[in-house]
Amino acid sequence: MQTDALRAESVRKVYRGRNSPDIEALSGVSLRISKGERIALLGRNGAGKTTFLRISSTLLAPTSGSVSIFGRDAIADPEAVRPYLAVVPQEGKPFMHLTPREQAYTYLRARGFSAETAKARAEHALEQMGLTEVADRLSITLSGGQRQRTMVATVISTEAPLLFLDEPTIGMDPFARRGVWDSFRELTRKGSTILLTTHYLDEAEALSQRLYIIDEGRLLAEGTADDLKRSVGGTLRVSVVSGDGITAQLATFGPLVRDGDTVHVITGPQRIQEILELAAHSKLTATVGPVTLEEAFLRVVGRSINDES
Amino acid sequence: MNLEPAFPLQRRSRWSGLGAFIGTELRVQLHEVLSIGVSVIVQAVFLVFVSVLARQYLPYTIIGAVVFSTFQIGQRVQNESAWIRIDHKLHELYHASPMTPEAYFLGMSIGILLAYCAPILVLSGAAEYFVRFSGTAALIFLGVLACEFVFTASVGYMISTWFRNMRSIWPYSTLFFNFFGVLPPVFYPLWLFPSALQPIILILPTAGGTALVEHASGLLALPLDWILIAAVSLVGGALLAFVGAVYWARRISRER
Repeated sequence: MQTDALRAESVRKVYRGRNSPDIEALSGVSLRISKGERIALLGRNGAGKTTFLRISSTLLAPTSGSVSIFGRDAIADPEAVRPYLAVVPQEGKPFMHLTPREQAYTYLRARGFSAETAKARAEHALEQMGLTEVADRLSITLSGGQRQRTMVATVISTEAPLLFLDEPTIGMDPFARRGVWDSFRELTRKGSTILLTTHYLDEAEALSQRLYIIDEGRLLAEGTADDLKRSVGGTLRVSVVSGDGITAQLATFGPLVRDGDTVHVITGPQRIQEILELAAHSKLTATVGPVTLEEAFLRVVGRSINDES
Repeated sequence: MNLEPAFPLQRRSRWSGLGAFIGTELRVQLHEVLSIGVSVIVQAVFLVFVSVLARQYLPYTIIGAVVFSTFQIGQRVQNESAWIRIDHKLHELYHASPMTPEAYFLGMSIGILLAYCAPILVLSGAAEYFVRFSGTAALIFLGVLACEFVFTASVGYMISTWFRNMRSIWPYSTLFFNFFGVLPPVFYPLWLFPSALQPIILILPTAGGTALVEHASGLLALPLDWILIAAVSLVGGALLAFVGAVYWARRISRER
């Protein structure tokens, strides 16, 4: 029988307020991740992604529910599963007075690697993250993106069986992000399992084999990026800016998804011309493109992933 | 289950990774050369001040300065632990790993002790010059310093976890300094303290430890029951604090 890398059942977390109301951050989240999978937890800020990741990685106790890692109970015996884990914390920073090389090396040594292995792995991870040139500079002198890459290099150098990555590419430029994605793919090819949280739709789509959409502490959808896009109900979208006045007419062409004052019509290629003519007739701007994860997210959650409200 | 891990998974001891983390913390702290240098200078300036104002108290002040310099390691542990947790979130990197929370706490504490041993060594040299310790007194002095370190690092680590922002820690540090160093008889002889409170103040690790060293070196004559009060408080306090810190480190490695 294949053991799940991570199995969470009805995980609930309530943050008790001292002088404020309690906040229910997770409301019974259940999910399963098989060994070797790359899974993204996609959601807006405050959706519950980090809370779930911290509970799963033994850093936060749930109010109720169960979590097992490779078949071991992570709630009852966190120390039994910690050797299998490595975590990139959200907004974590390396030691300011260590170089990236020292950071990765000393972390590996603390985890029990021999000096020789730690050195080789640290070098490989620094190379993957494009940090070789700055490997001997103190982290205090590095840019925000380079520091974040140092954190990722430190953690991926462990090649731990289960990696938790909380917004791992935040602050990185697009080129660096792609390099990081490649290193994550390599890790899962080698057998590691990755759970990452992100609010970058392109990252979730490019990187994850499956993804979960979470909002207000609940899992609202699960599947591949293609599954979720298909569930929107068409292959193309026509986005009509300020299209509220013609909503009823637009609805006759297919499902609608709202994003602020823009109305997206999900449809097929045969209806495009008619929608564009309707928009032009109403003196509105309309653009055509393939259905993306953004529409899927909007349809599932009802709000844009960038909506902070 | 066939994980075929490419990394060490064998049963590790509770203190595995301790040496590596001591090295990590030592490397980090040794970049704070200015802070280390200032910690020596501040004590030296204070001794000059005492030698001008009340030279007869200089031996007491020097012994108190060694004890208090060791005690201040706890303040540094507190600040470093809070800084790593609040600003860097690096504790999560180490807690979600095979390294135990107690190895993390002790590694950080010993690393800081090694980095900041300069004022302790310099002042100990001055103490030897002015006091001339016997072998027994030197051993008691070492024992007292060891207890001070264990107590203060343990308490400092526990306290560091109570804060949610760094600004809250700074006023606490001032209180810490005054409560344990300035008010009680650490830098001045015990007999200058109100007599009714003298046996009570010996419960404080700084005052009790200093009095024990001064007694062992012939600077102070303590009755046996006062020696017991100071020794039991110091050793018992250190043991209790250490056990408490290990328990607390394990507990807070997973937030509630």
